[in-house]
Amino acid sequence: MPRSGRCRSNRQRIPVGRFSLTSDRAGLAWLGLLAAALGLVPWYKGNNLFAGPAASALTEALAGRGWLWPMIAVTSALSIAALTRGWQRSNLALGLTLGAFALLIWQGFAVGLRGPSADWVGSAFPRAADGQTGLGWGGFLAGIALTGLLSDLFAARGFCRGERFPAFCITAIVALLTLFVFFPILRLGIAAFVDPTGALALGTFWARISAPDLWGVACFAGAGRCGVVVNTVVLGVLSASFATALGLALALLVNRTDFRMKRALRAISILPIITPPFVVGVAIILLFGRTGLVTSFVADLMDVRPTRWIYGLPGILIAQVLAFAPVTFLVLLSTLEAINPTLEEASRTLGARSMTTFRKITWPLLRPGLAAAFLLAFIESLADFGNPIVLGGGYEVLSVKIFFAVVGARYDLGNAATLAMILLALTLIAFWLQMRWMGKKSYVTVTGKSDAGLTAPLPPILKIAVFAVVLPWVLFTLAVYIIIAAGGFVTDIGRWDLTPTLSHLVTAFRFEIAENGLQLYGSAWDSMITTLWVAGLAAPLTTLVGILTAWLVARQDFAGRRAFEFGTMLSFAVPGTVVGVSYVAAFNVPPVDITGTAAILIICFVFRNMPVGMRAGLAALAQIDKSMEEASQTMGAGGATTLRRVVLPLIRPAVFTALVYSFVTAMTAVSAVIFLVSARHNMATAYIMGRVEAGEYALAIAYSAVLMIVMIGCVALIQLAVGTRRLGRRQELQGRPAADPAE
Amino acid sequence: MTETAIEFVNVLKRYGSAVAVDKMSFSIAKGELVTFLGPSGCGKTTSLRLIAGLELPTEGQVKIAGRDVSRDPASERNVGMVFQSYALFPHMSVLDNVSYGPTIRGVPKAEARDRARAILDQVGLAGYEARLPSELSGGQQQRVAVARAIVQQPDVLLFDEPLSNVDAKLRRKVRAEIRELQQRFGLTAVYVTHDQEEALAVSDRIVVMKMGQIAQIGTPAELYEQPASSFVADFIGDANLIEGKVSSGTFHAAHLALPVRAADGIVTATIRPERIRLAKGGIATIRSASYLGSRMEYVVQDENLEFLVSRPISEPRLTAGDSVDLQIDPADLVLVR
Amino acid sequence: MTKRSVLLAAAAIMLAPAVPASAQGNELVLYCSVQEEWCRAMSEAFQRETGINVLMTRRSSGETYAQIAAESGQPRGDVWWGGTGDPHLQAAQEGLTEEYRSDMLAELQPWALQQAETSGYRTVGIYAGGLGFGYNTDLVTENPPACWADLLDARFEDDVQVANPNSSGTSYTMLATLVQLMGEEEAFEYLTQLHGNISQYTQSGSAPIRAAATGETAIGIVFMHDAVAQTVTGAPIVTVAPCEGTGYEVGSMSIIAGGPNPDAARAFYDWALTPAAQELGATANSFQIPSNVNSVTPDAAPRLEDVNLIDYDFALYGSSEERTRLLQRWDAEIGSLPQ
Repeated sequence: MPRSGRCRSNRQRIPVGRFSLTSDRAGLAWLGLLAAALGLVPWYKGNNLFAGPAASALTEALAGRGWLWPMIAVTSALSIAALTRGWQRSNLALGLTLGAFALLIWQGFAVGLRGPSADWVGSAFPRAADGQTGLGWGGFLAGIALTGLLSDLFAARGFCRGERFPAFCITAIVALLTLFVFFPILRLGIAAFVDPTGALALGTFWARISAPDLWGVACFAGAGRCGVVVNTVVLGVLSASFATALGLALALLVNRTDFRMKRALRAISILPIITPPFVVGVAIILLFGRTGLVTSFVADLMDVRPTRWIYGLPGILIAQVLAFAPVTFLVLLSTLEAINPTLEEASRTLGARSMTTFRKITWPLLRPGLAAAFLLAFIESLADFGNPIVLGGGYEVLSVKIFFAVVGARYDLGNAATLAMILLALTLIAFWLQMRWMGKKSYVTVTGKSDAGLTAPLPPILKIAVFAVVLPWVLFTLAVYIIIAAGGFVTDIGRWDLTPTLSHLVTAFRFEIAENGLQLYGSAWDSMITTLWVAGLAAPLTTLVGILTAWLVARQDFAGRRAFEFGTMLSFAVPGTVVGVSYVAAFNVPPVDITGTAAILIICFVFRNMPVGMRAGLAALAQIDKSMEEASQTMGAGGATTLRRVVLPLIRPAVFTALVYSFVTAMTAVSAVIFLVSARHNMATAYIMGRVEAGEYALAIAYSAVLMIVMIGCVALIQLAVGTRRLGRRQELQGRPAADPAE
Repeated sequence: MTETAIEFVNVLKRYGSAVAVDKMSFSIAKGELVTFLGPSGCGKTTSLRLIAGLELPTEGQVKIAGRDVSRDPASERNVGMVFQSYALFPHMSVLDNVSYGPTIRGVPKAEARDRARAILDQVGLAGYEARLPSELSGGQQQRVAVARAIVQQPDVLLFDEPLSNVDAKLRRKVRAEIRELQQRFGLTAVYVTHDQEEALAVSDRIVVMKMGQIAQIGTPAELYEQPASSFVADFIGDANLIEGKVSSGTFHAAHLALPVRAADGIVTATIRPERIRLAKGGIATIRSASYLGSRMEYVVQDENLEFLVSRPISEPRLTAGDSVDLQIDPADLVLVR
Repeated sequence: MTKRSVLLAAAAIMLAPAVPASAQGNELVLYCSVQEEWCRAMSEAFQRETGINVLMTRRSSGETYAQIAAESGQPRGDVWWGGTGDPHLQAAQEGLTEEYRSDMLAELQPWALQQAETSGYRTVGIYAGGLGFGYNTDLVTENPPACWADLLDARFEDDVQVANPNSSGTSYTMLATLVQLMGEEEAFEYLTQLHGNISQYTQSGSAPIRAAATGETAIGIVFMHDAVAQTVTGAPIVTVAPCEGTGYEVGSMSIIAGGPNPDAARAFYDWALTPAAQELGATANSFQIPSNVNSVTPDAAPRLEDVNLIDYDFALYGSSEERTRLLQRWDAEIGSLPQ
């Protein structure tokens, strides 16, 4: 009893009133930040954050930029409203906040770089004729403050069960998605419909979209060329079919045979993920080009003239199948693992022979997985840029055509936008089909249910077929990677001059240790360093946003959750080329003017790769009992604390996956990056592309090899930093699912 | 028992178009242990989560200690909760689990640990501080969960079917422990279960719920002896529900004719199985007889009515096919409409 | 704790280069459209000479033009150095580049000055190079091609490469050259026939000669200095100036209008026209003919005096309208032919 007395005295530590005070404080803090953003921090870009109030929105407005006044006025009204009790639940506060948000956006678009965007703005504010530059610290802070304020008001109305942290995360992520995914695409869509002067040009759009060089099917008749859209779809279908077949063979080999070197097979299948673009294409040229190793050998053997058969559809197809087979393999492996062996056992006990069992039981169960793998590879093929540009020859596909519409001799953003819209539409159709096929299945990892029986071994004929498919693939992969490993260290692999040399490495990475410290002279240092730190910054941010989004989708119940989930997935579906063009179209002009900065690269990576972190997070969260987080909440932890102290430690593997994936992708991405690199911020892949373009294959290969080694080193570093879950057996994790809230 | 700890005022919770809790109002006094009882889907867990703040009401008010907390998130209410799955943090030691709450609320780490040790001592887990939850037995995990919930002296302690993961033999012991702890600390507690026996054993009062509404509130004895509806009668213990008719002060059903004080009309009469006596020789027949160790259970057919009758083992045993006479004391009959 | 410090150290290493985001004013953003090697040599030399930090991006002239057009709302580059003259003229015509009369103009060759006059001094010639082709001596052992007409020979079927004029200035120069040399109808007739021998229209202008150097194709139609560069590095390539006559490019330089560092841009412009700067090309394996009369022409460079040059009308064929018209006709009549 004396103990309980002591506890009672401690009870005063949890005063009831404190909580409501915190609620008020959060709102006031956002309001304070908003006031600071408007009154103390430079509003326009190009000024240091600490430049002081001399360049703030308030000062600028006083100096004649009158279009800033409405925003300032509404903010002042909001501050007055905040003096009343319970203001966070009043409609007035919500209305004023939304109004301030709208006016913030309006002021950005009302006046462009060179002057007002509408006549009435010009006549109302004479200084608008001078134009305005992009938003600076002040503008961005105001945006953040308004987002925070808005989420606080939502939370006060019971959004997210009144939890401010998830409410803020949702509001912020929606705002970011809008700004960095939907706005650029919208801007690009507009570019497809208007001419350079800004007038609506439906005729031009129609002419572009109905052009015969898009939709022609003459090649099927044996004469003439096919349209680029037809080419793209044909390539996608073929590539996805072969990749799915190869993936299936690999999955069957690993799951249904006693093949010994399964681990090695898995390792090989991971290689394409960390391989920089272009080098595989280069290796294929070195093998199968007209003077390629294999081509010359076969030509000598059969005494025929070597041809350039590899350029065009065959070459792209080979490269893509090589690149996408690991993806289809993983999808099909998990499908195979999920098939309950008792079904196959039942079939066999009923007297069916193994081939019949495979045909009647296993195959139908595999079909959804096959469809999903096919569509995934199809989407990847649509988005692929690196392989077609190296191996395409005369075979044009959309992604390359978009690239040359922007960077070709005839710069035509309108045409690029139109093509991008077509590519986007194709991707979204495939993506939609894929979502329908896979549904929610892709999120839930397979649990150890399948140990209930023995899986059926493959029928002998199938086993032979599987080996016949996999063996050439293994040989081919090895050949490609031997070339990548060796090509950078011989004089000229293009002409098969195999004298060993380090000169390419020296050209790329020469450095001297002089009196004044380390001097980097190699031509690749700039891009290598930029790539490393851009990827190094993007990876944790991507993981943060991805895992956070997964947590919001899996654990928070809020209006519009489905749309939210779909929106995040959409950013993944948009092909890189389209993202690149849309970023150029959207962020080269005020109000959000960030082209040429490292920020645009990082932002691009974060929103393109975030869905992968999200998927990893969703899969991990599905295995963790929700009540642990609820327990944390009832013990007084807010969303952020719960996430940090309870959720994150439990989903470390997902964090690791997300970090590694986003890091590696940022290092090897090319299609979007090509449009976004600048003199100050060049990326490794863009540099490699330049070397391939200039025919300096050896330099490209040497750089790629170094890049791969660096990537492996960084992954090891991430492993060291994040570590793995140090937990023994734990039934809680896979324990019973959370109780149905309707109960 | 006059101070109100928790109060629901017309609380409505809707998920899309489905109503989980339908305009519920009740209050719970300080120091009381109240059980929400009902079949699955009746809204009992939702009600509990509404108190915890894990759900917010669509309409109405939830008050804890007189304060309206309807819009406050769970982290800003002072509640402790024991989950069905215990929800212990598998990556933290027992001590870290228990000191988590105080640490979060700003208690210095050393003090939080002292407090956690004290509570662990109280629940009989001294010496287990450094273990991971996975290294404890089910019953020990359960006690850690309770310790974690009470360590910060919550305004209300919530139990969400805490015994469903405990094996049948231990249940009796654990529920006695829970009751004992609750009374020792003078805590207000709300307990959710679908097991009526458990509810009768631990509760001061029981809220019987059906489809999001309160069917009846009362002490265990009130509910058992004076059920307000056939649903309550049937749900709490076993009951015979007899459809019949009242005319001029007499209840008629099959061969029964019992004097009652009720207006004329169609009614349902309820009677507990152990309140019916059987005598050999009569117009009813025993359809089956089951030996249950402590008692005998018979199913007796009288015309189109079937009765469940429970008799002490000490009485002479009857067998299937015997003719019997049903003897009912009219005072044991509870009429519901 | 050790893990955390490893992470911090890694972050520090990654962030370190981000910190000295050099202050504006003492730097120059250079868009370079010749070979990377030459671009690097130029920026290094200028940086050493002036102390101005050069941020260089190498892209093809088509790409650079597109970038400057895309950035016109807010130019990020200062100087566009190198690349075929046509896109420079087009940029001048569209006001993307700035008028500047350098004192160095007096020292320039007439063809370089003409480029400046055509554009209203918004661009200037920095080097010249004749159009031609190169063949691989391993693949073409007898009776080598010497004229445009020889390329139509059936023995070169599927063995000639040239870039796509839509993406490459080199190939556009060839299109314009043939039109001026033969007349438009005849030129397209010639190209239609040549199409039978073309294995691929590459995206990059100099790709055909690299393909010829490695034996992927027998003949590549390129600027002669690109072919010479391959020979110098040891490839079995012979450079040919077509006997009927040929056109040439005037590699140009422009100051981007509204660039962030106008002073540094002018400094670079003047410096790039000096003999010392122009002679850097030869050290970087580039054999164009420099535009300063005092610059030494590299020995390996194909002399324009030895080539039968046509009177190339840069003003007409550099204009947007003519260019668009010719390219559209090329798309319709050549680009759409079956492979």
